Amino acid sequence: MNAANYSGTRGLMHEEPLLFERAHRASEAIALPGLADAEAPAALQAFLRNEEAGIPGLSEPETVRHFVRLSQWNHGIETGFYPLGSCTMKYNPRINEQLVRLPGLAHIHPDQPEDTVQGALALLYQLQHALGEISGLPHVSLQPAAGAHGELLGIMMIRAWHDKRGDHKRRIVLVPDSAHGTNPASAALAGMKTVEIKSAANGQIDLEVLRAHLNDEVAALMLTNPNTTGHFESNIAEICHLVHEAGGLVYGDGANLNAIVGKARPGDMGIDCLHINVHKTFSTPHGGGGPGAGPVAVNDTLAPFLPVPRIEKAKDAYRIVHEDEASIGPVFGSLGQVGVLLRATAYIAAFGREHIHRIAEDAVLNANYMLHRLESAYHVPFPGLCKHECLLTDAHQNRHGVKTLDIAKRLIDLGFHPMTVYFPLIVHGAMLIEPTETESRQAIDAFCDAMLEIAAACEQGDTEALHAAPLHPIRRRLDETQAARRPVLTWPKHSTGG
Amino acid sequence: MRFLPHTDDDRRQMLQAMGVNAIDALFADIPREFHIAPGSLKLPPAASEAAIIRAFTEAAESNRHTGNHRYFLGGGTYHHFIPAVVDYVISRGEFLTAYTPYQPEISQGTLQALFEFQTMIARLTGMEVANASMYDAATATAEAALMARRITRRGKVLLAHSLNPRYRAVTAQYLSRLDGQVNALPCPEFDTDGAALATAIDDETACIIVQYPDFYGSVYDLGELRRACDAHGALLVVAFSDATAFGLITPPGAMGADIVVGSGQALGIPMGLGGPHIGLFACKQKFVRQMPGRVCGMTEDADGKRGFVLTLSTREQHIRREKATSNICSNQGLMCTANACYLALLGDAGLREVALRSAAALERLVQGLPPQISAARGPRYNETVLSFRDHEARQGFLTAARKAGIFAGIALEQIDTTADNRHLLVATTEMTEAEDIADYLTILEQST
Repeated sequence: MNAANYSGTRGLMHEEPLLFERAHRASEAIALPGLADAEAPAALQAFLRNEEAGIPGLSEPETVRHFVRLSQWNHGIETGFYPLGSCTMKYNPRINEQLVRLPGLAHIHPDQPEDTVQGALALLYQLQHALGEISGLPHVSLQPAAGAHGELLGIMMIRAWHDKRGDHKRRIVLVPDSAHGTNPASAALAGMKTVEIKSAANGQIDLEVLRAHLNDEVAALMLTNPNTTGHFESNIAEICHLVHEAGGLVYGDGANLNAIVGKARPGDMGIDCLHINVHKTFSTPHGGGGPGAGPVAVNDTLAPFLPVPRIEKAKDAYRIVHEDEASIGPVFGSLGQVGVLLRATAYIAAFGREHIHRIAEDAVLNANYMLHRLESAYHVPFPGLCKHECLLTDAHQNRHGVKTLDIAKRLIDLGFHPMTVYFPLIVHGAMLIEPTETESRQAIDAFCDAMLEIAAACEQGDTEALHAAPLHPIRRRLDETQAARRPVLTWPKHSTGG
Repeated sequence: MRFLPHTDDDRRQMLQAMGVNAIDALFADIPREFHIAPGSLKLPPAASEAAIIRAFTEAAESNRHTGNHRYFLGGGTYHHFIPAVVDYVISRGEFLTAYTPYQPEISQGTLQALFEFQTMIARLTGMEVANASMYDAATATAEAALMARRITRRGKVLLAHSLNPRYRAVTAQYLSRLDGQVNALPCPEFDTDGAALATAIDDETACIIVQYPDFYGSVYDLGELRRACDAHGALLVVAFSDATAFGLITPPGAMGADIVVGSGQALGIPMGLGGPHIGLFACKQKFVRQMPGRVCGMTEDADGKRGFVLTLSTREQHIRREKATSNICSNQGLMCTANACYLALLGDAGLREVALRSAAALERLVQGLPPQISAARGPRYNETVLSFRDHEARQGFLTAARKAGIFAGIALEQIDTTADNRHLLVATTEMTEAEDIADYLTILEQST
């Protein structure tokens, strides 16, 4: 255990071995409920596992210490500022964690009788209604497990609508070149052909280019608004009108809803179908990659195609609709990521109709303030008002041999999680910064100060620390090429400790 | 508003610094006609923290849950014991509130936990590698079908009837807009006949997807299926619902599965009305470049220290866009950590004990059935189908059981819409006590 010492720590910076390198205590099973002295049923004898899987059993104190040490190698929104553009890393209220752990919400089975889960269904129905109201698209499916899953569902429904009208040749989905990679991937999975449309010089939809691509084979345009450069597509009404006139529908990628929540509604602008990333706008924790949820809201046109199961309100009870002729059917194995959705219900309730718009106001204020502070030191590819995030590039720093990646890694040494890098793809060396509304002015100023310090170091030719960064976290730059060339995805069974 | 740190003074000063008069000026790029007045949305008024707690508590207490009812429900979601440590670990803000570990230097906690998770899932299922999870078992099954089509460059997917109908429906949904065909294969009542299914595999088959133990709890041999897949160049995809089974019985990997998918809910995740759960996804090493979803790999840092990164990203949508192996972008990250923590606490011995008790509870229940009730025959893990004389008999029992605080099973036709309405899908776990089984049998005896 090289530089670390006997306890695995050095200055209480912990090194932590893999579970498989710790002592394997096969005999120390935890105390379990149920039938003691259970034996395998005779009928199963022919199917018994003849070799142990190799799951290392640890005592409870060892397990806690292992995972707590691992957690300390992580950065979370509770640890510090997390300005990942397009990800909306806002504070996740602790109250919501408490609520979803109530036994009557956590420990209920999806197939227990409907009349025994009315409380949970009521909360989910409340969310359906709120999302319909916020989006301006009144019919909502809570089923999609993530944003990309919502995109898939949306395109499936749009296709179903065209097919229902007998318009079977509409198989093209237009996707701006600035779009999230999930957009074309989702459309392809729905059996559609994607055609990329080139953005105008200002990063927005080019109406002429759009017009040129519209024809009777276009099923839909997928649009993120505000777009991935952080700008609002001000021609939105005209864009939707053009697509509709050509017989297509407009799919809205709601990844950036945080910029307009409570201020304007996609449904009012002509969007037909929108997914909502509740792990972004409605603050459910990202969990190191998930679970999220991507409910889809649609207008009357698409409502009949919404998946089952879904929740409806009858006279005095909520019911789960399992069968529906017009529905496209399920896209997930249950009602949805219920625990995630319930957190969103609580979040919206905390703001209520009086305050919901303040989310967008402070988010947009913070992003524009950062843009203002940084625009003299960094290249701004698309000047002007931004929404909830601002886009910079490394063009000025390139002159000193410094790239976006160096800036990102240097930020780590200066105590910050980097911004989103190299996205969107339409600008070279992109740095997309999204502060969200839950950061204090002090935190935002500190981040800007760090960014300005980096820019100043570049100007002074003092770039050594930038190229070497990060120097201070538990690991330095990792060799991603080696990882991909010779993938080691599991720990070999014969290695130390089994 | 307690989640917003700015004071009005902060806002004023920030606007002033930017030379902007009012916050609304920052929304001038949104056409005026689309602006909505603050307070005009039809949402409930803002609620205090105390009011939200009260509302949620009232809603939660109106539900029946494992604290006041005894559960014999399965069908893909199981009531297993969850050690307190699991929830503690996943409640830690560093795991809970982190993003996807795209900056590996400051995400080694999530990444090492993922690597441990992948290793343990691979070992448990008897496979060489596992990914960093999918949304749920149903979507994982669909993704397995898509992966098999890519590997074999064939379009035909076979689905056994004894595969959980929800996995079947979602898989058919995912495939229905693509070229190729999806064939549902009949099975004997509440069972799977590997040899019979094997005859449907031909040279156009991309894969056959079976469940093991099957939807009805049946445990059977996969040997004939493996041989037929080899003979025709097709892949064997095996799904499962209760991962604890492989603490006791031979895992699908040891019987030659090419891809194994299923639910990890049983491994330390609350039932939660159906989510969030986790889709597990494991396969042979030679297929990793066709695998969907995120995957964590081992590497070294600039100082030669061992570390972990997300890898093989050239398969993924953010690089490959419409040519990606899947559109999936997220995973069930926190649930991976829950699974890893649960497995670490139990180990081989604990997991075997969970499985033994789950299986023994079902065995005891079946042995004690009154003569008027029949149980599906053959080896079962912790789930089976009870058949009643008729619908009324079953409903009478369900009602009587509910009066005694027992959810006695799932009306089979609720999930398997082709089934008669006189069958009951019943599951047991280590949470099933001897007394629960005795009460169950007494009510069964008296009500039918």
